[in-house]
Amino acid sequence: MANVYLYNGNFLNLLELINYLLSNNTRPFNIKPINYNADMFENIINLKLENKQDIIKLYLQLYDKYILKIIYYVFISNENNKELIIYYYLLNYPKYKNNLNYMRNLKCVSETLRISQKVSRENHKMKGFVRFVELKNKVLYAKIKPDNDILYLLSIHFKNRLKNEYWMIEDVERKIISIYDKQNFYIIKTSDLIINAHNKSVDEDEFASLWQLFYQTIGIKERKNLSCRQNFMPKKYWPYLLEVRDEL
Amino acid sequence: MELKEKLQILAESAKYDASCSSSGSHGRGSSNLGNTSYAGICHSFSSDGRCISLLKILLTNACIFDCKYCINRKSNNIKRAIFTPEEICEITINFYRRNYIEGLFLSSGIIKSPDDTMNLLIETLQLLRGKYHFGGYIHVKAIPGASEHLLKKIGLLADRVSANIELSTENGLKLLAPNKSGDKVQKIMQYVKDNHNKDYVPAGQSTQMIIGATKESDLDIMNKSFSMYQNYRLKRVFYSAYIPINKDTLLPSLEIPPLKRENRLYQADWLLRYYGFKVSDILDEKNPNLNILVDPKASWALKHLQEFPKEVNTCSYQDLLHIPGIGVTSAKRIITSRRHFKLTFKDLKKMGVVLKRARYFITCNGKFDFNPEYFNKNFIEANLVLNDNVKQLTYGKQLQLF
Repeated sequence: MANVYLYNGNFLNLLELINYLLSNNTRPFNIKPINYNADMFENIINLKLENKQDIIKLYLQLYDKYILKIIYYVFISNENNKELIIYYYLLNYPKYKNNLNYMRNLKCVSETLRISQKVSRENHKMKGFVRFVELKNKVLYAKIKPDNDILYLLSIHFKNRLKNEYWMIEDVERKIISIYDKQNFYIIKTSDLIINAHNKSVDEDEFASLWQLFYQTIGIKERKNLSCRQNFMPKKYWPYLLEVRDEL
Repeated sequence: MELKEKLQILAESAKYDASCSSSGSHGRGSSNLGNTSYAGICHSFSSDGRCISLLKILLTNACIFDCKYCINRKSNNIKRAIFTPEEICEITINFYRRNYIEGLFLSSGIIKSPDDTMNLLIETLQLLRGKYHFGGYIHVKAIPGASEHLLKKIGLLADRVSANIELSTENGLKLLAPNKSGDKVQKIMQYVKDNHNKDYVPAGQSTQMIIGATKESDLDIMNKSFSMYQNYRLKRVFYSAYIPINKDTLLPSLEIPPLKRENRLYQADWLLRYYGFKVSDILDEKNPNLNILVDPKASWALKHLQEFPKEVNTCSYQDLLHIPGIGVTSAKRIITSRRHFKLTFKDLKKMGVVLKRARYFITCNGKFDFNPEYFNKNFIEANLVLNDNVKQLTYGKQLQLF
């Protein structure tokens, strides 16, 4: 039977479900979020799992902290069968324990590590590629469009870096926005908020044009190498990078 | 003069410095604005493909020195400008808040005297760290000939302090940079090395050499690098292909900068630092220059083909590092994985080991990835060069140089 198990789209709920499947020795055909459209050969199972225990605490007893971080990175990726990959990765854990990550000949391991590295790399790149605009009320506002759902990870970075600023980072694709109030950040739906992004501070245009000027000046024309630039800075990020978006 | 024009002049004058790294610093505790990332962060990439991490500017491009290769030399008739410390802070802070940059890279031409210039640099850094409580990355150039107490002061404010040696031999320096002596630069390096700790220049020091402005061979350059890595514990030596900005009878009239040579020097530099190679392994008096067509590790392997193929399931870590195409990450992965299972070529691929070059130099369980009859120097060399050629089409112009 092609049993597809559903979870509510939440990381904790997925952990709950995978834990249930593993401890009952059930092999799912697939694991999908609740809005999944099944095809006719698939049998949908939507378990109502009671949130009885602190699931993170349970996982930390079962697995190394490092493993938990890896599966979180896979979870926020844009990969298709990420839930099933996490399931098989954890299924193999009891056999290899903390040597699991050396078993790259297993597809679930090599895939898990590949995806988590991909997410971690995009997170690292975006730390540099976010461009804030200063609004009239001194709030810094940025739009991003990453492949993976890294808004939470990015927010941790900017919470440390710009701790005495008010800032907002909007993921335009997922329609969520992170708002920082000099203490904590909160991630909410964009639709719950009205932002007048045209209401820029008086200095904004001056510093933006100084930055564009600096960017134009710093390149050495005798060494021009556009393909090298594009390798490091893929075009998909350009619409939100003020120094190159005019070249698109 | 408007801020805009100043920025243009002083960024233009600073752009030839190769270094833009922002890594290696654990930061300096609490500050109102900014921190450092140990891995470093690139914020953008310029049209030449180089990373832009720091706001790279000069305090002033006026200079009392007349170094032949330098755009800012005294005898050049170019527009001169000078930033006030406040102006630098304003730009740095506003760029940093908008996340354009990771920090500041401040260098300067020498005005009045080395000490006067150093004092201006220090004043700027004190403003940034003190008044603006700036905790981001700062890389500052030490001015050769400045007093020790100023070196002491500046190192406590910056994450990285560096001085450029520019040319690998004292003769080269005498010829092209008559006011600069290698001694003065090495004095700075010695001082920084002796005082280095978590508060003083936490990200360590680096230097830069110009490639192709004088007759020095790659062997001279690598020997110089190796001795500097050993004597002054430098984090990096940067190599910068000479770009003919000035016309001078003492300078070569290159039309295209020797970028491929620069690339090969970086590869050789990595072999020294991370792969346990010695200069004498790669270069000697008979072959004082690196092979332009094949990278230095492959070129070494082709010369020592009797030591290959290596069996990845049994050879030592050091041997793995000697295989062209296998880096530190791959070597570590192989070592840890092969304890648990026997590696095949397919496994290597799954592990992310790039086989494009490595496949000619290894066996997995005694098996080759290609017909073993072809295991000879000519076949492998031809394949390695052809593999790269697709890429090198874009470098076509440069290759004609050699």
